[in-house]
Amino acid sequence: MQIRIIKPGILSTVQDLGRWNFLPQAVPVSGAMDALAARLANKVLGNDDNDAVIEFTYSSASFKAETDLLIAYSGDGALLKCDNQAIPTDRPVFVPAGNIVHLTNNPAGCRTYLAIAGGFDVPVVLGSRSTYTTAQLGGLHGRLLQSNDLLYNTSQLGLTTSKILNSLTGEHLKYPAWSLTSHAFLPSNRKIIRVVPGPEFTWFNSQSIINFLTTPFTLTSQSNRMGYQLEGPVINRRIHKELLSTAVTPGTIQVTGSGNPVLLMADCQTTGGYPRIAQVAAVDVPLCGQLKPGDQIQFEEISRQKAEMLYIEQEQQLQKLTHAIKSKYA
Amino acid sequence: MVNVLIIKFHLRMSSQMHNAIFFNTYSLSERAISVVFGSDIDDSTLQQITQFNHTLHRKPFPGFYTTVPAYTTLTVFYDPLLVIQSDLPGTDCFDKVTHYLEQLKQHLAQDQPGLGKMITIPVCYGGTFGPDLKYVAASHGFTTDKVIDLHSSAIYKVYMIGFVPGFAYLGGMPEVLATPRLTTPRKAIPTGSVGIAGKQTGVYPLDTPGGWQLIGRTPLALFAASRSQPALLQAGDTIKFEPIPHHEFDLYRHHADTHH
Repeated sequence: MQIRIIKPGILSTVQDLGRWNFLPQAVPVSGAMDALAARLANKVLGNDDNDAVIEFTYSSASFKAETDLLIAYSGDGALLKCDNQAIPTDRPVFVPAGNIVHLTNNPAGCRTYLAIAGGFDVPVVLGSRSTYTTAQLGGLHGRLLQSNDLLYNTSQLGLTTSKILNSLTGEHLKYPAWSLTSHAFLPSNRKIIRVVPGPEFTWFNSQSIINFLTTPFTLTSQSNRMGYQLEGPVINRRIHKELLSTAVTPGTIQVTGSGNPVLLMADCQTTGGYPRIAQVAAVDVPLCGQLKPGDQIQFEEISRQKAEMLYIEQEQQLQKLTHAIKSKYA
Repeated sequence: MVNVLIIKFHLRMSSQMHNAIFFNTYSLSERAISVVFGSDIDDSTLQQITQFNHTLHRKPFPGFYTTVPAYTTLTVFYDPLLVIQSDLPGTDCFDKVTHYLEQLKQHLAQDQPGLGKMITIPVCYGGTFGPDLKYVAASHGFTTDKVIDLHSSAIYKVYMIGFVPGFAYLGGMPEVLATPRLTTPRKAIPTGSVGIAGKQTGVYPLDTPGGWQLIGRTPLALFAASRSQPALLQAGDTIKFEPIPHHEFDLYRHHADTHH
């Protein structure tokens, strides 16, 4: 299978679930900003969760099916259309060769993940296919996708994927009646972001802590795959120690010298020197991946134990989902 | 509301102090725990971290995947699903991993010291490679040769790798060379540039913007994704800079290229 990028859109890259093994050498994790959406798009095709997908930012991108395709998409950045026919999210879709698929505006979010049967075939660099443009690593030549880029799938399809493909192959755009209810994995209010107090939580004064947990913060235009600068009440410190640079990770919320929080995301540095007021619960990091400048979020404190429990429960549910899809096409 | 928060502060602080008596760890995320080895930048802390890191890699726990060494901490990353399914004692991942690390630390004394490598980094000082060498010399009343001599006769320790892939935070620069950063950072600094910023010295592994005073450049690649260990330096290594003549810069480059 092969697609040709017609319009690349604002920022489109190949991503998987990240490059975790080179953190000690200061190579960022990278990977899909909304990893849940990337995984769901892969799951409905019978792919591995970690197979490479394309991360599109907003809409105004399009691609052509150079061959027959079996694809799926998930995420809130765009709605896909083919010949003005809307393509539903979170289910496998057969697109016959020659068709052009357009990404159209979806105000709900920011990022959309396109998966292809078998995953996109780009070289594995340092254990991952994720693009990290700063060091020109991974993805397609370590860079953003451009017009006329050709992307292929890996030709070895798993049993489930082959069966899904056989069930949909034909002359026309086709998809099954079922879809994943991705909403089952998401809280009803996606602008409430649950956080666990960070290692330097107690360095801030009580009023600032109260403000942090009760007042909305707005994403500024200084927001990208490395992190989001947030605007809201200034957060003041009670302890004025210098923090020696230490590990940070996607979801860490640091407070800079000017008292503004920065929420670190997929391409963040591996270490930082600003005090860490909180850590976004792992299950809510994908929600952050859909935020865009101007969005308002509200932090809500949960315990470390609760965050870990939520994470493990979600992972177990996701595993069940994989088995359910497999048994459906057994 | 305020009272509740203050009570929480106290609980949290007392539990942290309780931990400190035995083994000081904290949770960074659902996937990471940091172990605290000290409160200042010093050689003994660095050695403890390097040694502990070395031991952990030789004796990993189920679900372990990597670590991030820093000045006073070693952060341990793991897969929570594999940890929770393991038979390590404890009710949640934090307990299980902390318990394992605690046990490991107790056995550390009998272990081999984890010694870092000694690496020599060739540097072409001054000229187009080090456009700020003259400024650095003048600001201290030194000749440029004196700056080169001071910079290249010191022995440096790699305390941590951070900031960008392969960037080493070095300790050991003679304090007389401390020079403030440029007031206006340069938009692009060539890979391999050796610079001074305040009391620090370092080598830029990638073309990035930056405000360091550039005194030279090394032909060695500090970071190359094509190598099995892409970063040349690792926390715990010892390094030395060696002045080389400018005409040798390309020879090193050529030499390195033929080995890829």
